[in-house]
Amino acid sequence: MFYFATAVLAVSGIMSLIRQYQMLQQNSYFAKRYFGWIGSDIKPIFLIIRLVMLGLLIWAVVLSGDILSNSLTLFAACALYFGWRGVADNSNSIKKLVFTARIKRMFFFSGAVLLALGLCGSLIQGIAGTVCTVALTLLSLFPEFLCLLSLFALKPVEKLVARHYINDAKRILKSVCDLEVVGITGSYGKTGTKYILTRILSERFNVLCTPESFNTPMGVVRTIRERMRADTEIFVCEMGAKNVGDIKEICDIVHPDTGLITSVGPQHLETFKSIDNVFKTKFELFDAVAKKGGEVFANGDNAVIRERADGSVILYGSDSGFKYRAENVTGGRGGASFDLVLGEERVSVTTKLLGKHNVLNIVGAAGLAYTMGVSAKDIAFAISRLTPTEHRLEMKSSVKGSLLIDDAYNANPEGCLEAVNVLGSFEGMQKVIITPGLVELGDKEYEYNKALGTAAAKVCDKIIFVGIKRSEPLVDGVRETEFNEENMFIASSFKEAMEIYSDFADENSVVLLENDLPDNYLK
Amino acid sequence: MKTTVAFIFGCRSVEHEVSIISAVQAMRAVNRVKYDVLPIYVTKTGEMYTSDKMLEIEPFRDMKTLIAESEPVTMIKSGNDVVVHFLKQKMFKKKEDIVINVAFPVVHGTNCEDGTLQGYLEFLGLPYVGCDVLSSAVGMDKAVFKYVMQAAGLPVLDCNCFYAREYSENREAIIESAEKEIGYPMIVKPVNLGSSVGISKAKDRAALIDAIELAVSFSDRVLIEHAVTAIREINCSVVGDTDECSASVCEEPFMNDEILSYEDKYIGGGKSSGNAKGMASLARKIPADISEEKSNEIRELACKVFKALGAAGVVRIDFIIDTESDKVYVNEVNTIPGSLSFYLWEKTDLPYEKLIDKLISLAFRRSRNRENLTFTIDTNILSGVSFGAKGAKGSKL
Repeated sequence: MFYFATAVLAVSGIMSLIRQYQMLQQNSYFAKRYFGWIGSDIKPIFLIIRLVMLGLLIWAVVLSGDILSNSLTLFAACALYFGWRGVADNSNSIKKLVFTARIKRMFFFSGAVLLALGLCGSLIQGIAGTVCTVALTLLSLFPEFLCLLSLFALKPVEKLVARHYINDAKRILKSVCDLEVVGITGSYGKTGTKYILTRILSERFNVLCTPESFNTPMGVVRTIRERMRADTEIFVCEMGAKNVGDIKEICDIVHPDTGLITSVGPQHLETFKSIDNVFKTKFELFDAVAKKGGEVFANGDNAVIRERADGSVILYGSDSGFKYRAENVTGGRGGASFDLVLGEERVSVTTKLLGKHNVLNIVGAAGLAYTMGVSAKDIAFAISRLTPTEHRLEMKSSVKGSLLIDDAYNANPEGCLEAVNVLGSFEGMQKVIITPGLVELGDKEYEYNKALGTAAAKVCDKIIFVGIKRSEPLVDGVRETEFNEENMFIASSFKEAMEIYSDFADENSVVLLENDLPDNYLK
Repeated sequence: MKTTVAFIFGCRSVEHEVSIISAVQAMRAVNRVKYDVLPIYVTKTGEMYTSDKMLEIEPFRDMKTLIAESEPVTMIKSGNDVVVHFLKQKMFKKKEDIVINVAFPVVHGTNCEDGTLQGYLEFLGLPYVGCDVLSSAVGMDKAVFKYVMQAAGLPVLDCNCFYAREYSENREAIIESAEKEIGYPMIVKPVNLGSSVGISKAKDRAALIDAIELAVSFSDRVLIEHAVTAIREINCSVVGDTDECSASVCEEPFMNDEILSYEDKYIGGGKSSGNAKGMASLARKIPADISEEKSNEIRELACKVFKALGAAGVVRIDFIIDTESDKVYVNEVNTIPGSLSFYLWEKTDLPYEKLIDKLISLAFRRSRNRENLTFTIDTNILSGVSFGAKGAKGSKL
């Protein structure tokens, strides 16, 4: 019975680890964040059971070894139950544990520890054997400790593995002829800008960019090792940061020749502590590029950058003093049109990407691409070919030849107000909004919706709110203005809203569909 | 890490040998710091072979030995890559597939230059140098090429065109309409042969019948056009793509050799040099001895032809000047010209190594442009969430 219980304890420990490793993995192997999860995951009843078991264990040890071996079955049953729950929790989650090489190494290590303890406990008589059995029981009942043990014990191994991958990536970078590396960083806007830059550069060059948000050192390394080709001419590398030094770490791998800083803002302030640190970190890219004698573009419309950056960075934006800027931005059926100023050259461009932030991203990307040898003509063509993400300020045709701006996936307050501004830029057209407002914003929900109502009233000719109860704060917002309420409609569903809209829609109408909520919200 | 370029040459074509010379010249001009060269020789029966020996012309003089010493290969798709796969594997020493980054067809004539090879590469999804399927095919068919030029408003000689079967059923009518609409002297051509094979001139009805009989033995479609008597032939090469292209200096060929001979270029010096050089200067004059005005007219016209055809890479366009009227006509296009027209570009502004570099980057550019047609800012493919389908909204991304 004793041997059987020991085996069950070991197996249960491994089973429980599945859940622990799943969470450790999803917290990017950061012990601190993993602790946070443990704290939030505790269910009192299970904690009590485990503490009772701990008490029993201590009591058993203190009294004598005999009681321990007799009560081991109880501990094993308990551990097995928790193990089974761990396995079930993992397989019921959306994002399951991925068996990466690292996770396999950790399982191997933990398995070896449990096996060793189990064997020693079974084979060695006396105190030593008891200690092993007690340790096994503890680790099986509290797999968190085993999880952390394997995490820290394998740290040096992981470092070696990472070093190997980094060196391999560096070797690949060196072996590609005439490769130019562009680093992109910023608190926001870097992913969008990266795609725009890649599209523009690809008019002239073979470009590789880090996919989606592969913007950590290991994400960059993986991109290089899996996707770099001999014929790649430019590598556009997105660099993310949560701590001071993060950008430098990536720069030390890829050694960027040029750089683009899209913004400095309060993102990740909890780890950065101060805006000053955010600025310093983003400008680690500048230091790396300056070392190679290259140039860095930075968003001059960003207040922090404008205030602190000196003359050695090239500012872009909307200010007429900038070398690279957008002028005369207008909206129309074809999208946003503006004059793109590229130093001495000027070219008029049209893009389907709507919104100020997109214009800004385009100017930065275009300026950088221009200095890298893409002609103004090619840049204008590439800009005209950019396509928006689905349901993000996406232009479509709608009923009676009218224009629809589909912003159905936008659910954040600033984004909604910007969308209303975009609607306002369609000069000379009948402007209509269809929206149920915003949800799940806690205490501030009323305030945000009221502000949205006011903003809409200032811009729109006609307003259609969706959901009778939902639209109350929006209506309050409208009433703050002089808006003629005959032009305000309340529909009970999107279907009904579209019916109302189609009554007065014509070829000269533009309708903004803002935050398309599921029906269960619409009351 | 170097870009691997597969030079494909030879093939089932009457211009097989010319292709070998063009390819060897090209492979020798490649910048080896940047590129790895992989020769893929296609025999007259269509098998592919590779060997490092193919980088020189000498081994080709003894074809049997060369083939025996070469490896039979094929090109296949393997994962995301296109690879050269070795067909004969030794028991213990496995020959690894070689990943190809770009293909460089240096082939002349039907069954390869006419879009056939391009279609194969397109199907594999491999970037390749030069014209695409459509422009290659149009460039090869003399009749269709004329129609495309006419539609673009570019000057070509009018022609009558008919199928071999139509001719056998309706000789009288075809000959009479040719006499009426074209008038002697005439030139009779099979529509789809790259070289001058099967082409002949006719000053009277008897010669015309002979000429047609000869032409239909090479192709099932034949065209007849007026033979310009006071004629100067001027050729001009164009490099680029439909967005941006430029024309080389013009040449005036005096002899009907399709290609600058290998000796001219590579066996310079020594005792044969005087003779070879003499041949070259006899064969063509570069730049052509025409007025700057005429030269500019032709170069401009060449770029228009290039665009109307939708060409890419390097092509050579052959013009005819009717010296009586001083009018220029587009005669034909070579979508893969002999020696890749490098001798024209060397006299313009592009040394051969740079020309090849440019052609390869144009190949990548086209493949990027095709990818860009479906390029989106985000890789979100979960569509269908729109009006009326709000149930799917839970998966907001």
